Amino acid sequence: MSLVSLVAEKIADDVRNVANTPRELAVEARYAVKAYRRGELSALQLGRTAGATAFAVLLVALLLFPIYWIAMSAISGTGGSVYAAGGFSFFPENPSVQPFVWVLGDLIVPPLAISLNVPFSELAIVFNTPEIVFLDASDHGVDNPSDFKQYFLNSVIVSVPTLILAMCVIVPAAYALSRREFIMRRKVLFGYVLFTQVGGGLGIASLIALYAMFVQVGLNNNRLALAAYYAATAVPFNTWLLKTYMDGIPVSYEEAALVDGAPPWRVVTEVILPLSAAGLATVTIFTFLTGWMEFVVAQTMLSADKFTLPVGLFALIDEYSIPWARFSAFALTFASPVMLVYLFAQRYIEGGLSFSGMEG
Amino acid sequence: MSTTSRIADRAAAIPAIEREDVALLLVLPGLFIFAAFMFFPMLYLLGISFTNARPSNLFAGGGLLTFGEATFVGLQNYAAVLSDGKFWNSLGTTWLFVATSLVLKIGLGLGVALVVTNQRVRGARFLRSLLIVPMGLPAIFTITIWRGIFSSAQFGLANQLLSWLGAGTVAWLNERWAAFFAYNVTEMWLAYPFMVIITVSALQDVPKELHEAAMVDGAGYFARFFHVTLPSVKRPVLFASILTAAASFQQFLIPYAFNEGGPARLNELIIVYGYREAFQFSQYGQGAAIMLVAVAFIGAFMWLNVKKGRLADGVDDA
Repeated sequence: MSLVSLVAEKIADDVRNVANTPRELAVEARYAVKAYRRGELSALQLGRTAGATAFAVLLVALLLFPIYWIAMSAISGTGGSVYAAGGFSFFPENPSVQPFVWVLGDLIVPPLAISLNVPFSELAIVFNTPEIVFLDASDHGVDNPSDFKQYFLNSVIVSVPTLILAMCVIVPAAYALSRREFIMRRKVLFGYVLFTQVGGGLGIASLIALYAMFVQVGLNNNRLALAAYYAATAVPFNTWLLKTYMDGIPVSYEEAALVDGAPPWRVVTEVILPLSAAGLATVTIFTFLTGWMEFVVAQTMLSADKFTLPVGLFALIDEYSIPWARFSAFALTFASPVMLVYLFAQRYIEGGLSFSGMEG
Repeated sequence: MSTTSRIADRAAAIPAIEREDVALLLVLPGLFIFAAFMFFPMLYLLGISFTNARPSNLFAGGGLLTFGEATFVGLQNYAAVLSDGKFWNSLGTTWLFVATSLVLKIGLGLGVALVVTNQRVRGARFLRSLLIVPMGLPAIFTITIWRGIFSSAQFGLANQLLSWLGAGTVAWLNERWAAFFAYNVTEMWLAYPFMVIITVSALQDVPKELHEAAMVDGAGYFARFFHVTLPSVKRPVLFASILTAAASFQQFLIPYAFNEGGPARLNELIIVYGYREAFQFSQYGQGAAIMLVAVAFIGAFMWLNVKKGRLADGVDDA
């Protein structure tokens, strides 16, 4: 539980930082202007800082423009489009949440009748729970909402077992590779580094065989088999990543625990795992996303009723036209939790991806 | 008596290895599941590539993991593939794509990283966290957005930009090199967060003293960039380039979602070519042969990089 509160603390910290950044910048700017008035800062220096900052902001805005554009098309109702038919305008004329309503559909808890039989009599007491309506799509003029909820459920059924299975094999392997010397260790590591770099493509390359095997065994259209496949693809990269995190934990911590008489399993659960929390968080995100985001294999293996979110998203596209507003609303609804996780877990992800342990 | 002690000595010498080797058991489950879903299909793929497998004969007849009623045709698929102009066009286009997209990705990644680590830029950390947001978006979504941007219609964003610049509109996805250009831009955009993360952390490790010393020596910005910054970030950037080159070689979604490697199969990168050959033209045997040739290429490329580029230095030292 302390781990959870630690994470919560860090998130709160990040939120405060993000909220404070504009204020701090304003304070700093005011300070700089004052310094300039007092003649402590030359106009050239002030201009350079302002110019560099403005340039950086412009660059980031340009790079993120496609995302902004898609968000705008998502809230522009039925006329939403990524095409600028009426010329550019940075904000839609008639913003509407209708596309999002279409994505979510009805959010209604149906009424339940609970009956209790009174013992030794014919009597029964019946409770009727009221219908709870969070969102009624037809109120917003949406008659045929999307299959988002079904796809979401499918994605969860794929991603959660992927995560569990992958963590079960990755964590012990990363520990062994980081802390123990055994035969084949170097060969395994070498192989994992090699396979770290041929991730998705290799999966698509072997997709013909994989599909044929799944069909013959009758496992195509099986979400758990797909989860096992995703877990397998996540093994090399994530094992390597977690191993590099664990390499960073000083051996002396373990020795101290051993001297204190801790058995090996307690050294692992009470020293190694808590200290590699950042690595565990990163690996958790990555393995979960393997199943959450994958498109090609899922599209080949699953039939319409078992589509995961990415496949369901792609299925919205007609050959000749894309219902942009609905498409974007769908994609944003499905991606925004992940984007939030990315924003908050960034320091860990950055730390892990910098491959600082790469050069031994 | 002396025998027992000698045996004891020998036994004492062995356990040191054996007890440690128990740790291998912790690695085996991962290896097993990886092998089951990666190596075994590869072997089966090799088998398929020697047969005339199609959905109709492969899935006919009972039995698990057999080749159904497909018959053995030897190297016929390989001969057919290697003598097909489409295959060589696809392979050539793929390598060209690797080269062009790599240059673009490194250029943009390094450029953006330099801007957001510049000490004159205020709120750089904040900007950096915004920058990697695209990584959190599903690839199929971002790629479809870019497909919309490069729409051939007059109102596509790319065409709007062109007409704003005073140029005519381009039928982006219906013209070979225009489509190839669109692939490159999209790949560059998809890969920049990764490049930026790696380059930024490399740049932050460059000692400030080096820059200060160079400044004292009177080096200008560009001189410092070429003589101080670049040499210090060379290895991480090289490493990222190799990874991202491998990703370009295996790019599937961009050509597939844009125009299925069109127009007229001209831009089918190798994986798309094999995929379409198998699943859209029902030629499993030939598709398998193409995929194996692609895997052989990527395998050789990666092996060379890991060996010559000393990517696994950490492994060898350990």
